Amino acid sequence: MSRYLLRRLIGMVVVIFLVLTIAFVLVRLAPGDPASLLLGPDATPDEVVALRRRLGLDQPILVQYATFVGNALQGNLGESLFFNQPVTQVLASRAEPTAFLALFSLLVALVIATPIGIWAAYRRGSVLDQGSITTAMLAASVPSFLTGLIFQRYLATDLGWFPASGYGGAGAGFGTRMWHLVLPSITLGITNSALILRFTRASMLDILGEDYVRTARAKGMTERRVVLRHALKNAGIPIITVIGLTFALLVSGAVVTERVFNLPGMGNLVVNAVLRRDYPVIQGTLIVVAGLYVLVNLLTDLLYLVVDKRVKY
Amino acid sequence: MTFRAVCLAGSAVLAFAAAAPVAAQGTVEVAIVGDPDTFDPMMSTKDVVSIVTQHFMETLYTFDDNWAVVPLLAADMPTISEDGLTYTIPLRKGVSFQDGSAMDSADVLASLQRWEKVASRGQGIADKIDSIKAGGPNEITITLNEPYSPLLSLLAFSNSAAVIYPEEIIADTIDKPIGTGPYKLQAYEPDQYTQLVRFDGYTQPGEAAGKRQQIPDEIRFVPVPDTSTRVEGLLSGQFDYADSLSTEAYDRIAKSEVAEPVLLEPFGWPIFAVNHKKGLMTDLNIRRAVQAALPFDDMLFAAFGDEKFFQTDGAFYPEGWTWRNDAGTELYNINDQEKAAAYLKEAGYDGTPLRILTSRQYEFHYQMAEVARMALEMAGFTVQMDVVDWATLAQNRDNPDLWDMYITHSPFLPEPALTSSFFATAREGWNNPKKNEILDRFTRETDPEKRKAIYAELQKVAYEDVGLIKVGNFNALQGKAKNLSGVRPSPWPAFWNASTAE
Repeated sequence: MSRYLLRRLIGMVVVIFLVLTIAFVLVRLAPGDPASLLLGPDATPDEVVALRRRLGLDQPILVQYATFVGNALQGNLGESLFFNQPVTQVLASRAEPTAFLALFSLLVALVIATPIGIWAAYRRGSVLDQGSITTAMLAASVPSFLTGLIFQRYLATDLGWFPASGYGGAGAGFGTRMWHLVLPSITLGITNSALILRFTRASMLDILGEDYVRTARAKGMTERRVVLRHALKNAGIPIITVIGLTFALLVSGAVVTERVFNLPGMGNLVVNAVLRRDYPVIQGTLIVVAGLYVLVNLLTDLLYLVVDKRVKY
Repeated sequence: MTFRAVCLAGSAVLAFAAAAPVAAQGTVEVAIVGDPDTFDPMMSTKDVVSIVTQHFMETLYTFDDNWAVVPLLAADMPTISEDGLTYTIPLRKGVSFQDGSAMDSADVLASLQRWEKVASRGQGIADKIDSIKAGGPNEITITLNEPYSPLLSLLAFSNSAAVIYPEEIIADTIDKPIGTGPYKLQAYEPDQYTQLVRFDGYTQPGEAAGKRQQIPDEIRFVPVPDTSTRVEGLLSGQFDYADSLSTEAYDRIAKSEVAEPVLLEPFGWPIFAVNHKKGLMTDLNIRRAVQAALPFDDMLFAAFGDEKFFQTDGAFYPEGWTWRNDAGTELYNINDQEKAAAYLKEAGYDGTPLRILTSRQYEFHYQMAEVARMALEMAGFTVQMDVVDWATLAQNRDNPDLWDMYITHSPFLPEPALTSSFFATAREGWNNPKKNEILDRFTRETDPEKRKAIYAELQKVAYEDVGLIKVGNFNALQGKAKNLSGVRPSPWPAFWNASTAE
């Protein structure tokens, strides 16, 4: 077990280092100069040169890379060109909305997908089964920006049930901030429920056909006990896998939803950073997201140990 | 386990659904297109920087409702020597900075010297300034090498602005701006809001500048990059004012019970900037071919869709502006591809692609470029559309090897000399001797009537030499809550007199 963990941790470091290098190269391959953008349309070429020098962008690319890696190894992801703040500080300030949005969206997706998936598998071939598959396909097909715009227009603007956008503004309390996440969470949760629903249904279908389920029924157990205690528990591993992947996707993939609802999260941050050519922030976000992916994968694998005692590493 | 998760999910949704949003009193919420890049208005020419910083930073002069220069931190208009070289500016007494210190000529001197050094507009006239001196605690004297009539407009403009800081904080970079404006910067949360609160030590400027009544307790500028999100925020009552809205939203806003459209009519002019330094457009016949081919009315219609939002107008300034004249406009909107083909033949055009650099950051730029492409191809041009994101465009346009024309736009500026395209030093590099001579006369002349006549000459030569290509006038759409009053429609709306009726 400890050897397995060590191997995984070394793998994590390698992946993050690769991401770090790729991120550094990619953002510099993109055309567009941060100094020109920061100074505005009427800036003179001399001003642009001076600002590039101040930002260290006039250094040879290898020197910039060495500085970047050296600093990253010490936990310093550089300073945002736009905010004039350390990237770690900028990312930390964006973590709350993104983390809660991912969490609530996952909860919404689970609330929708799990019971329907179980029921659809249990009533295989029924109207509910066919309906759930169709709905899942529809939910997965409609892009979240469209769902978001529709919800925003009708539920926020017309009916006034929810805030249209933002994160509560200056001095907003925790409750207000969470209130602003309701509509984005539903938007993102619906879109992501489709995958979980399909996995739950498929996994449950496999298990419901197993001999031990037939045996449990033959022993006279109630259907509720058969489905929830015996079948669902054994269908857990694929469902946990997809939930883990979905969570990682939600953390990194809430870009569009954060944009539509103007949430000050990491997704919005990275879009703005790309438009502003804020290299350190783009690199920092990519590293954090890659780290999260790897970590969630590791945690998912470790969770198998808890769910299924037969799994050994 | 799964049912536990289901229950948790249900309770969480219910818990945050029960929490109610809180609205602050006496606050005006303004949706703007993004965060200001800086709170130091000397350092940026972006409109969003001007909109925010004008509330806490002030200049010696400002513009009144008719775009005439009037005193703000200056006590009066300057005394100008007969040779037009010396401007003696009296300063207002009793003006306080937001740190409690009193403003005097030492602060003004240090600020103007910094402006010359770091601000693009200040750098632009630095070689014309011989000296800036304090003539006592409440007087500043600017001496020029040669007469330069746009000086006062430059001192009044809120963009790359000659704002006044306390001498003590003057440095190459100013992170925490301290000004004399009616509001002060209270908090800034990147990508969330900029919070301004009333500055209690504010002293009102003279009557000409208009009262800055400090009605709202707070002004919050909320960056909302997505235009449809700004519209929904306005219509849902979340914002009192929203800047830069898509004209497609006009009808929805007009029908709203809580908001109404604010049409800035006209707002500005889309421009095809011409590369005079390198490439195809250095040939006058090629430039004339482009000018003859372009159907400006069709381009404007494609870009704005409804005549409510544009005017097909060749004069560089619209009706009602002192600078308006019709010189040269017979060359506007020719829309004659055969004539263009004749110019191409005269130029010996060999099919080299004409590169139009544009972006979809502003959709109307792209739409105009598409119509232009079709007309130019009909005239015989080979057109290469280089459609890039705004960041790339901002970089590439500084390299004359990469484009022949790029598309931009500008609000109508109160002083024509603020339009950088007229100057040979601009990135377009329009260096026509006749134009240079006219421009030189224009910036030296101080008599307003004579300046108007010279500006007509400048506009004429801009058409004849195709120095830049004006597409037309366009209107900008902003939106406001129905109960909001006291905000004058402007490219740079100010909120110190804004009030919301209950």
